[in-house]
Amino acid sequence: MLSPVEIQVLSTSFVVAFWAVLLSLLPAIATAFLLSRRFSGRLALDGLVHLPVILPPVLTGFLLLLLFGRRGPLGAVLEQAFGIHLAFTRQGAILATAVMTFPLLVRAIRIAFEAADFRLFAAAAVLRASALDRFLTVALPLAAPGILAGAVTAFAAGMGEFGAVITFAANIPGQTQTLPLAIYSVMQEPGGEAQALRLAVISFSLAMAGLVGAELLQRRMLKRLRG
Amino acid sequence: MTLSADIKLELGSFRLAAKIAAPGDGITVLFGPSGGGKSTLLSVLAGLRRANGTIQLGGHRLDKRPPHLRGIGLVFQDARLFPHLSVRQNIAYAWKRAPEHKRPGIEEVAKFFDISAQLDRPVTNLSGGEKSRVALARAVAAAPDFLLLDEPFAALDGQRRRAFIRVLAEMHCNYRLPMMVVTHNIDDAAALATHLVALKDGQVVAEGSFVDTSRMRQFQTLLDIADIGTAIPATSLRSSHGGRSLWLRADQVLLAAEQPRAISARNVLEGEVRAVTPENEGSRLVELETKAGLVLSRVTPDAADELGLEPGKRAWALVKAHAL
Repeated sequence: MLSPVEIQVLSTSFVVAFWAVLLSLLPAIATAFLLSRRFSGRLALDGLVHLPVILPPVLTGFLLLLLFGRRGPLGAVLEQAFGIHLAFTRQGAILATAVMTFPLLVRAIRIAFEAADFRLFAAAAVLRASALDRFLTVALPLAAPGILAGAVTAFAAGMGEFGAVITFAANIPGQTQTLPLAIYSVMQEPGGEAQALRLAVISFSLAMAGLVGAELLQRRMLKRLRG
Repeated sequence: MTLSADIKLELGSFRLAAKIAAPGDGITVLFGPSGGGKSTLLSVLAGLRRANGTIQLGGHRLDKRPPHLRGIGLVFQDARLFPHLSVRQNIAYAWKRAPEHKRPGIEEVAKFFDISAQLDRPVTNLSGGEKSRVALARAVAAAPDFLLLDEPFAALDGQRRRAFIRVLAEMHCNYRLPMMVVTHNIDDAAALATHLVALKDGQVVAEGSFVDTSRMRQFQTLLDIADIGTAIPATSLRSSHGGRSLWLRADQVLLAAEQPRAISARNVLEGEVRAVTPENEGSRLVELETKAGLVLSRVTPDAADELGLEPGKRAWALVKAHAL
């Protein structure tokens, strides 16, 4: 079925996307909840979050390199304090993927928060639930279908992240070479089209499975909420 | 614990300026036309809306406290049950956060509100009446010091509405729960109220004990012409009403100058005419002081002359049982 190289590429993609989504989930929930409320500076935060969607991915990767590279302000701190290198490493690929999928995640979760009936928060407040309590026991459970669907979509998208990853984390087989990077590599080799096509089919199937899976999951959970 | 408030609030062109006191041992009805600020006042008292001024409950200042620390419960027009929780979990949500020494048991509350059989069902497929009762049960399980109710029976009608009003009255006695109930229906108000606050255009126009305050001119002007009447104790007439007072409309009362015999009206109240007031429509409003209290009757000018109705004269008020 799959060659050892394909399995390696798939597992790299899988691990990178998994960690990217896992690490950005909590910040995304917090950001999405903030954006679903009214406060000054909401537009600015909204713009900042969506920046990676608008910017060319290569530029996002380049900005990450400037910030987190060895001589970048954050990169230098991380290296001195914790000995962590992000540029051109697996962790770097995870960071680049997280930054790129963050807007997707925030958008899906924010829609879920906005769709949740805000009048239920008032009902919880007069039943002696504090603001944090209301968030954890009413807002989060009501938004759970959207959060989960957003996470699955972000995961599927994260497996296919290209520009920012290749710029910031390079194309190192077994380390940072995810599916699209592998497709790019084999296309550079003479007669690599067949291999590229195989990888493309795998990539396409995974993306579709992710989207359909997210939709089905969300429908099922919403059905339970709405009866 | 008396709940008192002196608050001011501006919402666009609407101004609410209310000074009220709801006694801790009765049911206060907040009465008035739609758009008069009744619901807004409740949300201010509960802390869901900000306003200037002071709110006190049993001598403690509440206005600076967030809603969850006020000890004030609020039952909304729509039940607002949590859709991700079962009936039992909805009630338990309140119960878990209530002070341990005050809260009633979940099973007991469910039994009182007749929802024991529904406890483990999801709330999404309950009937309207069941949802209202679950909302009440949940509010009681939170063991509030004062419970506000924003027309929780608005969606019910006829028999089910009267049954619900009875449940409210029983719940008030059983849990010794001071309550403030919003309504614009005078029959509901009479069935429940010991105390009355009338609100119109954001201003309190009358306040005091229900029986006395509901007779005041400034209160009667809030009523539809067909609803003008007085409250008399439900026990003074033969009725199966079950509420505290009955609202006896002037149009439902016939007058006789002699003691009537062999009539089909089941209820006859003897009294003395206090005043005869001409109305805009040409009719006369006769005030009759009976043992059950003041009764109003609307008669034509001809009838008033024929019967010789004038202050000091004896007369009998006939009430059709059907009207109750």
